[in-house]
Amino acid sequence: MSLEVAIEKQVSQFRLAAKFTAVGTPLGLLGPSGSGKSMTLRAIAGLETPDRGRIVLHGRVLFDSAQRINVPVRERRIGFLFQNYALFPHLTVAENVAFGLHGLPESERARGVARQLAAAHLKDLANRYPASLSGGEQQRVALARALAAEPEALLLDEPFSALDTHLRGALERQLRETLETYQGATLFVSHNLEEAYRVCGELVVLERGSVAARGPKEEVFRHPPTLEVARLTGCKNYSRARRLADGLIEALDWGCTLQVAQTLARPPEHVAIRAHHIRVHAPGAAPEACENIFACWLAALTETPFRVTLDLRIGGPPASPADFHVQAEVFKREWESFRNIPQPWQVELSPERLFLLPD
Amino acid sequence: MNWEAIALSLKLAVCVAGILLVAGLPIAYWVTYSRWRWKFLIEAVVALPLVLPPTVLGYYILVGLGPRTFPGKLWESWFGHTLPFTFGGLLVASVLYSLPFAVQPFSAGLETVDRGLIEASWTLGASRLRTFFRVILPLSAAGAMTGTVLSFAHTIGEFGVVLMVGGNIPGVTRTVSIDIYDQAQAGNYDAANRTAVVLLLFSFLVLSVIYGTNRRAMSLWRKR
Repeated sequence: MSLEVAIEKQVSQFRLAAKFTAVGTPLGLLGPSGSGKSMTLRAIAGLETPDRGRIVLHGRVLFDSAQRINVPVRERRIGFLFQNYALFPHLTVAENVAFGLHGLPESERARGVARQLAAAHLKDLANRYPASLSGGEQQRVALARALAAEPEALLLDEPFSALDTHLRGALERQLRETLETYQGATLFVSHNLEEAYRVCGELVVLERGSVAARGPKEEVFRHPPTLEVARLTGCKNYSRARRLADGLIEALDWGCTLQVAQTLARPPEHVAIRAHHIRVHAPGAAPEACENIFACWLAALTETPFRVTLDLRIGGPPASPADFHVQAEVFKREWESFRNIPQPWQVELSPERLFLLPD
Repeated sequence: MNWEAIALSLKLAVCVAGILLVAGLPIAYWVTYSRWRWKFLIEAVVALPLVLPPTVLGYYILVGLGPRTFPGKLWESWFGHTLPFTFGGLLVASVLYSLPFAVQPFSAGLETVDRGLIEASWTLGASRLRTFFRVILPLSAAGAMTGTVLSFAHTIGEFGVVLMVGGNIPGVTRTVSIDIYDQAQAGNYDAANRTAVVLLLFSFLVLSVIYGTNRRAMSLWRKR
């Protein structure tokens, strides 16, 4: 199953121009709110009409502005999981799941409903009304309802955003299991990059309506093509950069000269590194062979149960807690090893971990 | 008590409510979901009977459906008699007069239906018609009920339009309200009073039913 999308639509603040293909693995649509993710999903489902472009689902043209094809929503055979689930409040769980099966004879219909209810562990709730269900149960009903109609593509619009954090983990695992057995194309919209990374194999990053990055998720995370994508994929440390020689740049905002492993065809505009890739050592503890080692001072720190985030200033003590260059994320265990040793400590920005951004 | 007049009023009201349920729902649907920029003009026309004196409306219906007009002639060629001063004429006039009392509650009911539910129905392969009967109508049943009962009750109580279009023909167009007027004019206050009390109790009952069921219908589905 494949879903090819190439659409353009004028939205109030920007022009949406989405172009990608989903084959096999779930495709994640990532982007900040208002970047056009939901609009793209709605256009694929037929709930919005693009100004221009083409949508092809498994060889079936759903929309083609040049040929004036615009298949109505109900004939597209695309399952849509709405952000608020959109369960019919006047129908029971079983009736909701059966809603998309109305063309079938009664016996087949009942079998289809039973199968979906069993797969989603909803049998005991079959006769309940949506209002009496928890958020997680509602989500499972909505997914079962969408899948019961055997859609050729499944569109998930931020399926976890309406849920409490503690519910997300289990539901996400269940969703991943469901998606593994699902044969059709899957699109997963999220603004949570970790969630998208776990659920999807491929990612498309949307930024103000345009595709800013596209590819296998590992690739998008390892080599973000733009600063915005780097930021969206959770990278907290970046500096303006100036090329000095092959493999050598000056980080203008951090006030240091860095060895880099990566080479770019174009001169880099920025250099960046992820917080958990930065290593911090006690003075003199850094291995001899290491490059890019700088003296650093602590400006502020944030503790989470297992890690600490250190706001570090390179080259001299900070004037205030907000005066720092990079954020490093280290395990508590490591932190314990140097926390009581007088500063400056040493920060290591490994050349293999630094990445360059052309714009 | 004039049972003939009461029976006539009930017959008229049932017919009007039935016609408005069938004809008013599509109008309300259109008014609610259409994105036509001149839609407000149609809304204004539908609401006209709310502000127009019944005599004005009655006058135009009388003239508009009279034997010299096109609709009047059409009716005459189909049914062999003219509309004014018949039950049919009364029915047409009453339907128009009660139109806003049906369409506005219908429309208010439709507006409470979450757009997302309608879209969900479409993505599940349902046609517009199926979506209407399986999703929209059940969820706006309170509005449909209110509109139907209101148009029924409003027809029972109408006076000016009936007098203008129907005249005062016993068994054909003399409804309860006209009968009360006649009795009062003739000085039969006892008779007028008895009929008036029946009408008063009936109206109170109808409104109680509307408010009572509306609240129950709401609480059934909106327990979130």
